[in-house]
Amino acid sequence: MKKLFSLTFATLLLISCSNDDDPQPGPNPPEAYEKGILITNEGPFNNGSGTITFVSEDFATVAQNIYRTVNGKELGNIVQSMGFQDENAYIVVSNSAKIMIANRYSFESVDSIKTGLVNPRYFMGDAGNKGYVTDWGDPNDNSDDYVAVLDLRTNAIAATIPVAFGPERMVSYNNKIYVAHQGGYGQNNLISVISGNTVESTITVSDVPNSMVVSGNSLFVLCGGNPSYTGNETAGSLVKIDLSSGQVSNTYSFGATEHPSNLTMDGTNLFYSLDGKVYKLNSSAIALPGTDIISGFFYVLQAKDGLLYATDAGDYASKGSLKIFDLSTNQQIQDFQTGIVPGGIYFNE
Amino acid sequence: MKQNCFHIILAFFLCTLSTYAQLDSIQQLPEVLLTDSKFVHFSKGFKLEKLNDSIIERNATSLTETLRYNSSIYFKENGSGMVSSPSFRGTNAAQTAVIWNGININSVFTGQTDFNTISPLNYDEISIRSGGGGVQYGSGAVGGSIHLNNTFTFEKIDTTQITINHGSFSTIGGNASTTQAWGDHYLNVGVDFISSENDYNYIEKNQKNKHGEFLRFAAKVNEARRLKNGIATWNSEYTYNDRNFSGSLNTIGKDKYKDLSTRNLWQLHQTFGAFDAKASVAHLFEQYRYFPDSEKQLYDEGRANTFIGFFQSEVLLQKKFRINGKVEYSYINAEGDNVGENSRKTLATVLLLNHKVSDDFSYGLNFRKEFLNDFDNPFLFSADAKWKVSKNYALRLNGSKNYRIPTFNDLYWYAGGNHNLQPETSYQVELGQEFWFGKLKADLAAYFISSEDLIKWIPGNGGIWEPVNITKTRNYGVEVTFDYSIKLLNQHTLGFTANYSYTNAEDLEKEKQLIYVPFHKAAGTIQYNYKTLMVYFQGLYNGEAYTTTDNSSAVKGYKVFNLGTEFTIPSNPQITFGIRLKNMFNVYYENVAYRPMPSRNIQLFLKFNI
Repeated sequence: MKKLFSLTFATLLLISCSNDDDPQPGPNPPEAYEKGILITNEGPFNNGSGTITFVSEDFATVAQNIYRTVNGKELGNIVQSMGFQDENAYIVVSNSAKIMIANRYSFESVDSIKTGLVNPRYFMGDAGNKGYVTDWGDPNDNSDDYVAVLDLRTNAIAATIPVAFGPERMVSYNNKIYVAHQGGYGQNNLISVISGNTVESTITVSDVPNSMVVSGNSLFVLCGGNPSYTGNETAGSLVKIDLSSGQVSNTYSFGATEHPSNLTMDGTNLFYSLDGKVYKLNSSAIALPGTDIISGFFYVLQAKDGLLYATDAGDYASKGSLKIFDLSTNQQIQDFQTGIVPGGIYFNE
Repeated sequence: MKQNCFHIILAFFLCTLSTYAQLDSIQQLPEVLLTDSKFVHFSKGFKLEKLNDSIIERNATSLTETLRYNSSIYFKENGSGMVSSPSFRGTNAAQTAVIWNGININSVFTGQTDFNTISPLNYDEISIRSGGGGVQYGSGAVGGSIHLNNTFTFEKIDTTQITINHGSFSTIGGNASTTQAWGDHYLNVGVDFISSENDYNYIEKNQKNKHGEFLRFAAKVNEARRLKNGIATWNSEYTYNDRNFSGSLNTIGKDKYKDLSTRNLWQLHQTFGAFDAKASVAHLFEQYRYFPDSEKQLYDEGRANTFIGFFQSEVLLQKKFRINGKVEYSYINAEGDNVGENSRKTLATVLLLNHKVSDDFSYGLNFRKEFLNDFDNPFLFSADAKWKVSKNYALRLNGSKNYRIPTFNDLYWYAGGNHNLQPETSYQVELGQEFWFGKLKADLAAYFISSEDLIKWIPGNGGIWEPVNITKTRNYGVEVTFDYSIKLLNQHTLGFTANYSYTNAEDLEKEKQLIYVPFHKAAGTIQYNYKTLMVYFQGLYNGEAYTTTDNSSAVKGYKVFNLGTEFTIPSNPQITFGIRLKNMFNVYYENVAYRPMPSRNIQLFLKFNI
């Protein structure tokens, strides 16, 4: 159980941290963060604040802790993820139970949402002034998980949709939201399909669906499988769902003790990480495990325009890094320092 | 029979009084005997500091506070009253052993003692033994050990003490104890209690400490009987803590922790000619319940029973050679929601030698070998010497190999526990100098500790954290203590104590200072007495401590001052009352990042000596 995190961290390690990087005072041009890469850094687990790192598109500028630089205040404890809608970035701060809203280009604070959230995980914007937020509720209670529907005009929760436990990442396709139920502190094996304010259907996939990408008319769901400590270890798998029928069309299995994660896509190529390696697969002709192209233990991966962005969280108690690889040569071309536990890679264009 | 009835009545008194009180019994006992006799005889070349009652009473909210203000030990306290772990000479939280009447009481699960769960008033004597004590005290005595001792005597005593106190943040506390010695009997019974809303303001933050309520209750019974050729003793204590864990500057506290422990030790001490033999049996019980949400009844639980039996024999030959041999068997059985049910059996043999070459010079050699463990059985040794060079100056020297065995959490935690862990090992040397000039006493110690195979939880495959023997550290530092008192005029005295420590503790792989080990720490107290009036002023400086392993962030250094006074009514010396003003300058400080410590607060107390 990942109660390890709460208990072990609280009572044993007591790892914690204050914040930071020296603030860089002085005015910033409003579009300081317009073109480039944004990294959300969870921050130290027990105490302290997460941060956001900006790396410019040309890799010439790196700015740490941009939200605090601009606004003079901190984001909160465990910056879990970030989502965008129109001009705004919605920064999900899980342990502080809130969403901080900032202009995605200037990072000037716009608003915050502090009521109705318990343990928010991910945000997904949708057309029509709607945003969806997955929320575990009490992580030790598997029956109170929900997806909150935000009204982005008022930044208030308009509705909550009860869902199966452990809702995590989301993708949207054809006005529907697909929610992967990775399983919170436990394990689950579902995708919820949300339309409007209701769960239209659920699709059973394999255990621990941890990442998803949409390719054409297909949804690829990478399932990590149950880890060995559960006593019911299951193999990881890549599940392909036909989005027109909502049915699983193929399940490709990994070895019995292989637990992949971090599915990402660039063009027709899929990438994922497994046991200290990054693998590449052709989405139209899947043969597991694919080709191993890069070595390294990465926390998250994001492929885009011929490059692979990968974060290294190090010992989770010091500053991490963002490494950028050229996918034509599989060679590392950049290495930037980030904040503590870089857990999300996003792009401003 | 009469005595037995008396015991039963007292035991009953103890149970019924359990809602209030406790106390400390602090008698100036003549010919006081320690239940842990080897403590004195085989630590000559080590730095020993004894905290007397009046010092303890000034900082008696918790053992954390007692030691923070009166020793070089640094505490990482997760907000006032919350989880508190020590760093002794820069070592980790599981490398300080807490020894109750000679028995190591560090948790089977975490390997450490939460110093906020211990009432400092439950003991007759608290001593700090710096440096490696692995041979005598087993696992975890690396940085040093804290000794919580109950003493006894057979000289007639009949004292009872009751203290009640009330302070800021709805804090109430009390203690009561009685000590009776008559004929061949000694009996000491006491209870102690503190409860607090703990809802202090975060200075200049417009926030309050929420969800930080705590309650601690402790009770003790200590009994001794003189037999024909020896003494039989029984020490017993019970502690219960119920704490909500507070939030921080940017998080909301939700979780809660309840823990309970009982400790019992029976010893039979017999003298056979030149031999002094002691047979002991001990039982320790610990139980914790962690509630992720204090509003709900869901919790994770762990329980452990430890049975210890040991036999030791000591002989003093030609008044010079003191030899102590000990065989100890312990059986631990622990069961927890996150660790399953496991047990451990250990057989340890210990040989302690002390040779008093002259009145001014003695040295010691000590060995320990363990058997039956699941991992490599450590062989530990230590050597120490003390040389009193002149009447103003003495030298101490010691060196030792120590260890810390993996805890049940390290070995069996679900998920991540690693069955292949080995003990952490450490080597150290220390040179100490002691000076006396009239009423001035000073101590200067320098040490070096090299540790390897330190257990660290790191993320493994599949994002699961697991402990591995990976870290190597090197610690060195200096500690200075001063003690001085002066008689000013008739009945006016001024006392001064201070300590300073420099601690360099480096992770050798990263070449960085360990997190939460400040380079500098200092504390001091000035005390003024006039007849039955006492006033003291106490200060603590805690230097900046890094909070990230790359030393990129730190929690700021701080200075906190306390002022206190107490007065005993001359016409009725059984009554003493006083005031303590803590954090008198209302300084904002954090001990752990983002967890502010209490604002200015006040405590009133009233003490009856009957």
